[in-house]
Parts: sequence; C-alpha cells; structure tokens
Amino acid sequence: MTAIGLGSCIALMLHDPKRSIGACAHIMLPESGGKCDRPGKYADTAVPLLVEELIALGGVKRSFVAKIVGGASMFSNFQGKLNIGERNIEAVRAHLQTHGIPITAEDIGGTVGRTLQYNPLNGGTISVKRADGSCSEL
Amino acid sequence: MELSAQQMDELKELGNIGASHAANSLSQMLMSPIDMTVPEVVLIDIADIADYIRDEIAAIVIFEIQGELSPGGYVGLYMPRDSAIRLTNTMLGSTDMDREFNEMDESALLEVGNIMISQFLDATATLLDIVMIPSPPDIAIDMAHAVFETIISQVASDINSIILFKTDLRSTEHEIQGAIMLMPDYTTLNEILTLLERMIQG
Repeated sequence: MTAIGLGSCIALMLHDPKRSIGACAHIMLPESGGKCDRPGKYADTAVPLLVEELIALGGVKRSFVAKIVGGASMFSNFQGKLNIGERNIEAVRAHLQTHGIPITAEDIGGTVGRTLQYNPLNGGTISVKRADGSCSEL
Repeated sequence: MELSAQQMDELKELGNIGASHAANSLSQMLMSPIDMTVPEVVLIDIADIADYIRDEIAAIVIFEIQGELSPGGYVGLYMPRDSAIRLTNTMLGSTDMDREFNEMDESALLEVGNIMISQFLDATATLLDIVMIPSPPDIAIDMAHAVFETIISQVASDINSIILFKTDLRSTEHEIQGAIMLMPDYTTLNEILTLLERMIQG
C-alpha cells in the first residue's frame, strides 16, 4: 500500500504481526462531527473502521499495533488555519488509546511532506521518503 | 456536488480572464511572451487527488481569498522545482541550477506570486462585480501533493469532492512553466456560479 505526499494528513497503518495482515487509512481531519459517509477521512471514524476491517480479515484485536506517518505543518504564516497536522496527530493518538492499540512506530510532525510504502507481509515494514530527500524504515 | 456543462464553461471563461491578466504580469516581469492553456475545471473526489497531483518537489505560493466572500477558499501559484529556480535565476541574474532554495528565492517567488495572483483575483472580481482580495501570501517548497492536500483539507471538511481550476502558463524562452490553481470554498463556488448566472441573463 502506498500513500503519496502526506502533508497535514496522517496515514494510519493498523497491523496484526501474528497474521501478517494490515489496513491503512489516509486521515484528513480530526473530527467527523457526526458525518459517516467517509469514515476513513476523519480520525474518530477511521480508527474503529480499521479495527473492524482487520477483525473481518481474521485479525485478533489484542495483537494489533499501529504505525502513524504524517501530520506535518506545511505553512509557517498560515499556522492558525492550516496547522491541522498537530490536531490530527492528537486525535489519532487519543482514539488508538481508547481502543488500547499501542503505537510501535511513528514519523510525524515537522515541516516536510512524506511518501510511504507499507507491506503487511514483510513484517509490516514501512518505507518513508521525506521531501528533504531523507528516507527511513519504520 | 455536480456541475452542468454550461457551469463548467462559465467557470473556464472566468478563469481565462483572470489567468490572462496574471500571465500578462508575468510576461512583463520576465520581458518575454507567456503562453497560456485554456483553463481546466475538474471535479475531483478527495480520494483521487493523487491522480492529479503527485509528490514531485514544487514551489507553491498560496493565498486565502478574502473580501466579500468569506471564507473564500484558496488560490495558489504552482511551479515545479526547476522552473521556480529558473524563474528566480532570471530575476536575480544567476545561472546556477544545481542549488537549494534560499531566502532570496523565496522572497522573489512570494513577490511574483503576489503580483500574479492579485491580477488574477482583481480581474475575476471586477468581472463578477464583487471584492476579492488575496491574504498575505505563504510559500511552501515541498511535495506538491503534501501542500495541496493540506489546503484541500480546509475547503473539504464537509464535502468529498473539490473543484480544481487550473491554467498552465509557460515561457518558452526561459523554460519556465507553472499553473494557477483555484480551490474555492463550497459556498464561494455557489456564490460565483450564481453571479455568473445573473450576468449571463443580464
């Protein structure tokens, strides 16, 4: 699975290491405000959605781990309005905690965009490439 | 959200007038002719943004639309990395392509963006007979998709598709290309369509 050019958005990967299965959501905003037409778009609806989907694939919730990437602050002058990266990070963390799912790896915040590749079969490894040219494996 | 073929055409015409003023100001700054494409108006589902905008490094000067329509949405000048360097080289009298962006580049790009986008908004607002003013600009030099999805998340909190309004500009002499992208807020878009409708019935 690939997520291209993450800015303030967050890619949430939910992984079951025992069964080598995973699910991924591209989260744009922290709160759905009751809207349920695009659950993957908001942190509060994406977390339960991925949990459900991974259980439907045969996953067992107590072995789930999460990895999160993104949530950057792309603008310096528009901070107040466009700094939703930080709010996205907080929301995703809070909802994972509610579900008792630990975050085992993250590459979040900062001021650069990121592109990632996630392979659930390969131990759930995530390769991240940042806009400044640096790369890492989570 | 759906737009009729006629509404698309009206928006293209509006974009055409705005973009030709912007192209004209760029042409004066570079003292060189600028070619311009017919504006594209596309309705993009937020899940498909990556089909239109990729993660190549680009310079994006962005403005919030202020004035009578508020929140108005965003308008930006997009330039691929190499074009942006060539543009500032042309302005600052340098030829070094193999370098990082510095503060001089950023302020030159902010200035070019400011002049072009002011022209763009001024021409479209005059046609619509409303006031549209650009906010002070901000600049990001980063993956294009990362920058645009951050802006789109602001205009698409309640909706799942956005109108992207794009005109390509090109200077053959200086090998510079760029695009003006307009991402109106949903209510602003409706307001613009109503104004256009009224003008045509006139």
